[in-house]
Amino acid sequence: MNSHAFTRWRKAAAFAGLASLATVLITAAAEKSGDKEPPVIDPGPPPADALVLFDGKDLSKWQNGKGGDAKWKLPGDGSMEVNGTGSIMTKEEFGDVQLHVEWATPGEVKGEGQGRGNSGVYLQGRYEIQVLDSYNNKTYFNGQAGAFYEHNAPLVNASRKPGEWQTYDIIFHPPRTGADGKAIPGSFTVLHNGVLIQDHIPVNGDATRAANFQGITPKGPLVLQDHGNPVRYRNIWLRKL
Amino acid sequence: MKTNKWTTLLPVIAAFSGVLNMLQAAEHAPVGYTDTPMLPGGKWHVHDPDRPQPSVVTPAPAGQPGKPPADAVVLFGGTDLSQWRAQKGGPAPWNVEDGVIVCKPKSGDIFTKEEFGDIQLHLEFATPNPPHGDSQERGNSGVFLFGRYELQVLDSYHNRTYADGSCASIYGQSPPLVNASRPPGEWQTYDVVFIAPRFKEGKLASPAYITVFHNGVLVQNHTEILGDTGHRILAKYRPHGPKGPLKLQDHGNTTRYRNIWVRPLNTSAE
Repeated sequence: MNSHAFTRWRKAAAFAGLASLATVLITAAAEKSGDKEPPVIDPGPPPADALVLFDGKDLSKWQNGKGGDAKWKLPGDGSMEVNGTGSIMTKEEFGDVQLHVEWATPGEVKGEGQGRGNSGVYLQGRYEIQVLDSYNNKTYFNGQAGAFYEHNAPLVNASRKPGEWQTYDIIFHPPRTGADGKAIPGSFTVLHNGVLIQDHIPVNGDATRAANFQGITPKGPLVLQDHGNPVRYRNIWLRKL
Repeated sequence: MKTNKWTTLLPVIAAFSGVLNMLQAAEHAPVGYTDTPMLPGGKWHVHDPDRPQPSVVTPAPAGQPGKPPADAVVLFGGTDLSQWRAQKGGPAPWNVEDGVIVCKPKSGDIFTKEEFGDIQLHLEFATPNPPHGDSQERGNSGVFLFGRYELQVLDSYHNRTYADGSCASIYGQSPPLVNASRPPGEWQTYDVVFIAPRFKEGKLASPAYITVFHNGVLVQNHTEILGDTGHRILAKYRPHGPKGPLKLQDHGNTTRYRNIWVRPLNTSAE
């Protein structure tokens, strides 16, 4: 290490010392007020072959339900926020995918049951993985966060607190129509905050209630639901399988 | 005609270097076999060198290890090998250095004391840096579910081997969908959903299934496991109970492991 490097190292060490002291003080103060700072989760970049649908900059990959511009709010923190302008959907359509989505329900808790931090991720605009503030908020089991809405409750409730960023990692295979005209079920596997909550469950082709689209299709858009609550999304990417 | 003596020598030099190359190649570990049994489907031999290589996908850079979920059984949190044993019982013979497990070559495989059925498994591993050896000789270890179904651990970063033996393969059966390996020495993650096979009256009732994310990238997608994995053999199920230990393989390389936890799934057979 040369002397410049040493000076830099010493400055860095001093800064790190100050910073950790500050952290201790801030943490102590926060814990005193009974209010812990939400942990910062590094969203991490997507894999090299991923199609990035939202990187925090713009809504260019999205449109509203009528094909016009998506008008959700961009608060400037790398997220987009539901603002009452209606559900949005990707311009591109997809079949089999690995999908990564991060979302946060409002930090200011309002409403209860289905009225608290409600939104949804609809694969092919048809099959909904529920987004809801399910932290100390009872509702019907197949309608809580991570449910395949009205089809299948999550295996466990892995929800973080309102306002904190949460992750969905989803493997989705759409149902297909067989030669005999009958549906061949697809499947959902979902990890919520890294915890397995849907384990290769069948998707038989019945669209979720309130879905924008109906019917079995090889490809469909990804839809994010405007359910009237200011839910935020960030770091959305998928890999076509 | 006057010839330059160097021109005369050139073919000799070329031939000599060719022999050298061949000698060198002979020292390399094999990158496949064709004298092995055919896998179901009749297309590929076990460890077929011609089976297509998984395409390379650069994953996100390694991050800090996350915390296990609250309901996880932590098998290694950074302090000791108290959850592990040697094959024949007794203390696990590997080392813990700087808060991580280091395989001690030739000391033998290590097994969890607890046994599991259907699980979600998270673990992190790093292959030795600088790398030594080629093909199956480079950074080889393995995660064996029930001590018998191997999810391969290998340094597959610019290291050709047979597809069904590359990192994140179900060894000798199913190559990963893509090669999402990080460079040697870097920490890599496996997130696994394993559904155990079921046996009824000594016969297979339903096979095992495995889903694997390697560094966050899907590499095994509800893959059916064909039976006990092995070298140069066709997999075959040997009936066993509803639970078994997790095994980490000593393949003679100083592979490191950290942050290992499982969540038993309530789908397990009784």
